[in-house]
Parts: sequence; structure tokens; C-alpha cells
Amino acid sequence: MGARSSRNGSAGIAVRLRGVGKRFDGGVEAIRNLDLSVGPEEFVSIVGPSGCGKSTLLRVIAGLTPCADGSVDVHGEAVTAPRADVGMMFQRPALLAWKTSLENVLLPVRMRRRVKDDDVREAMRLLALFNLEGFEHHFPEQLSGGMRQRVALARLMMTGAGVRLLDEPFGAVDELTRELLNLELLKIHERTASATLFVTHSISEAVLLSDRVVVMTPRPGTVAADVTISLPRPRSLDMAYSPEFQESALRVRDGLQLVQAEGG
Amino acid sequence: MNGKHGAARRMSGRGRVIAPAALFAAVVVLWDLAHTQGWVSDLILPRPWDVVVAAYELFSTGLVWEHLLATFYETLAGFGVAAVLGIGAAIAAGSSRLVRQMVYPYAVTLQVLPMLSIAPILISAFGFGYTSKIVIAGMIAFFPVFVNALTGLLAPDPDAEELFRSLRAGKKRTFLSLLLPTAAPMIFAGLRIGLTLALAGAVVAEIVSSQKGLGFLVQRYSSQLNQDDAFAVVLVLTAMGLLLYGAIGFADRTIVFWRHAARMTSKTRSRERSVRRRLGETPSRPAGSAPSNHSASEEKVS
Repeated sequence: MGARSSRNGSAGIAVRLRGVGKRFDGGVEAIRNLDLSVGPEEFVSIVGPSGCGKSTLLRVIAGLTPCADGSVDVHGEAVTAPRADVGMMFQRPALLAWKTSLENVLLPVRMRRRVKDDDVREAMRLLALFNLEGFEHHFPEQLSGGMRQRVALARLMMTGAGVRLLDEPFGAVDELTRELLNLELLKIHERTASATLFVTHSISEAVLLSDRVVVMTPRPGTVAADVTISLPRPRSLDMAYSPEFQESALRVRDGLQLVQAEGG
Repeated sequence: MNGKHGAARRMSGRGRVIAPAALFAAVVVLWDLAHTQGWVSDLILPRPWDVVVAAYELFSTGLVWEHLLATFYETLAGFGVAAVLGIGAAIAAGSSRLVRQMVYPYAVTLQVLPMLSIAPILISAFGFGYTSKIVIAGMIAFFPVFVNALTGLLAPDPDAEELFRSLRAGKKRTFLSLLLPTAAPMIFAGLRIGLTLALAGAVVAEIVSSQKGLGFLVQRYSSQLNQDDAFAVVLVLTAMGLLLYGAIGFADRTIVFWRHAARMTSKTRSRERSVRRRLGETPSRPAGSAPSNHSASEEKVS
């Protein structure tokens, strides 16, 4: 956490966006003049109205789509293509149906080099960490929706990337499962912190998980509010009832209402 | 697990056997009745039992083997050529937009062409032997294989594709590890149709012009008004079709196992064993902690 004090050096910043703009082929402007920095151990959530370019923002950082204006740096280097130190997780788990949980988790390694025994052990350890012990050799079809997302989370961890991008990863699961998955994510982040950008529609989820919550304006998206969440870590679900939590949630909500009022 | 297979399994074992067997018995009884009552002539429809006897004699005299093997060979060779070329062409068309644009209109047009109409032309071009039959069987089987494989290759999972891109997987990797397995169920759907059509093509080609094969045999017996034997050959052809269809179904279930719930359970066990063996020397955690129960119900929240 101390690393974040050296704000100016690129060493203290994992992801830096300066004046980023992105226009689709059809001429629709998705993002305009967006500035954002994320520290190497910082968990930043992005909330905003639907279609405000949140997903586009993540895809720009992931190097999956180029940005038209401005610059995107990851660990001090301009992003031009997908990078090994950036891992991404999608709303759908995107597991390969013909591979077991274990094999799906090992996929990032297999794309780079031969899988070693230690990789298998590490993948087994990650699956156990996500409470998937006994399901390592099951196929996605044999797992529940929440379990599939946990496999996808374990796969994200297996990339070992210093920057993690999560695009509404729990958008399609029910409330109860979402809470459990939030706890898993907290546990992981508090154990091995990395620069994390988390897109969500849920204010309480954003507040619970994050160090900062960034509110985006409607399209063309840019930063409308940047709310620092000072809840102590490790965090728990009980904190949702604390006054501090409520106050942070209110500030995020105010920011959202402001942009929604402007957007019509 | 998903609707289709679930429904098939829910149809109880009794209903699956008894219902079609009852229909079969009814048809045979009615068929035989048609004879004893004199509704039809022996020259048109033989008695069921005579067909069975004729079929037995086809084999006991050994006469049928030569023809059976000829048809079998033509069908498999034609199907093999169609499978290789059809999947190959689909891969070429799937990976190149230009090739796709060049080939697609013809693929669609040729599908409407009744392929059998060119059988005489092909026979005069390739002779009366095996080659012309293989070419006809192959041409008929080619299009369903090609069209299905291409459809499968062009319908990938966009999320999985993004994932592969973000993992910086190369073109070849993405093709082998993602596109091909994703298309596999469609490819097999095409192969199933193609195999059936290859058999039909081979038989029709034999009927048009041949000295060998089950199609030729039906043609000859029928023109001799020997309907017992003609029907018996049709019976043999049906059996061959069922055998071929069963074989391709087995290959489908084995290769595209993830579409068949029953297959996954045994796969799970074998994968577990191989991982255990791999990590065998240094058990990182007690073996007993991974129960081999396959119900995903434990802490399933849904």
C-alpha cells in the first residue's frame, strides 16, 4: 500500500490512462477523454449507466481493441496488444466444455509453455482455495453456475497477471451466489493483491470490494466521480451494515444519480 | 442434464423397446394377413417369412458376401473422400474470407442440384467399376459434411475467443484448441448425414449400372420377379445402414463426449486417475479428500 504514495513514478502505478477516447466503427463515441490510474495493489470498481463504455474501457486496457485518442500504459509500457501481465475475466465463465475444471484452470499456462507438475499442483491449490475440492476433474456441464464462475476466477489467478480486469463477472448469478463469490474475491485480493479493475452494476458489491469506486458518465463515458472507500481490510459481509459502508454507498449513489440526471 | 438427452433418457426402457416392437408385430401380422386373404399378389409383395428364409439363404450360400463387400467398400471410400474433402474445404473456407466468398454460392447451388441426375455422366466418365460409385457416393456426401462443418467453424463462442486473444494464443493454437472442438458437434452432425447419403449414393449408382453390389442385386432379383430375394437384399442393406449409423454414433459419443452426460462421468474418473498418477510420487494432499461423488449438489447454490 505504501507504494501508492509515489504517485508520479510509473513504478507506483500499474495502469494509467490519459485522455483516452474510443469511437466505434459506426461513429458512436464510447469513451471520451478519460483519465484513470490504478495502483499495483489497488482494487478499483467501475460503475455507471448501461452502455457507458465500461466494458470497452476494460477491452482497451486488455489490448483487445485499440484506443483512438490518448494513451494506455500498463506497468509503464504502452498497450498495443494483449499482454501477459494482464488477465481478464468475462461475464460468462467462458470455460471450454471439453476440459475439466483443472484443465480449464491450466489453460493460461498451456498457452505459454508445457504444463509442469508444479503447475498442476498450483491449479489444484487454487481450485481448493475456491472451494472446488472434489470437482477438479468435473466438466463445466456438471457444475453449477456459481462453481463455473469460481473455475473462471481460479483460471484468472493462474495467469499470475499483475493486472486483473473483471467485466461484470457475477452479473449472471443469483444474489446468494454473488455474495459467496464476493467473499472469495475479497479473500484472494487480500492474500495476493494486484491492480484490479472490476466492472459492476451493484453499488454494494463495488463498495464492499474496492479501495476506490469510479463512477462513469453515460456515453461517451468519462470519469464523473472517484470515491475512495476507507473501510479497513480484511473485509467481511457484516461491514455492509456499518455507517462507514452506508456513507460510501451513498456517495457512489449520489454520483450515479448526478450522471443519470444529466443523461436525461 | 440438458433437455434433449434428459428427455431421451426419461423415456423408460420399457417404452423404448415395447412401443416399436408392438408396431413391428402389427405390421408383420397385417402384411402376412394381406397374403392369406389374397389382397396382394406374391409377385408384388413376398410373405414375411419367405423374406427371412431368403435372407438366410443369401448368407448360407455365401452369394451375398461379394456384393455386400462391394457396396460396403464403395460407401466407406466415398464417405471417406467426402469427409476429408468436406472438412478440409470447410477449414479453408472458414479461415479465409476470400475462399468463403468464392466457394459459398456454388456450395449452395450444387445442393439444389439432384446429384443423382449426373450419375450416368459420372459413370460414363469413370467407368463401370468401383471408381464411378465412389465418386457418386462421395459427391452426395460431400455437401452436408462441408456445409455443417463450415457452419460450426463460423459459429464460435465470442467470449472464449476473447479469452484466447487475451491469453495471446496464436492462430494455430486457437484453431486447434478452440475453433475445432467448438465445431466438432456440427462436424459430426454433417458426417452422420453424409454417411447415410454415401450409402444411398453407392446403391443408386449400382442400380444405374453395375455388375456387383447390393443395389445391383436388388435390381436383378426384382427384374426377375424374385421378390423374396429382392426384399432380403433390402433387409441386408437396412442392417448395413444401421451398422454404419451405429458406428458413426459411437465415434460421435466418444469424441464429442461433452455433449453426452453419461460419457462425462467416466471421463471424470479417468482424468482424475491420470492426474493422480502424474502427481503420484508426492501426494500434496490426502487422496481421501477428493470424494468421487459426481453429484454437483454439494453447496450448489441455485
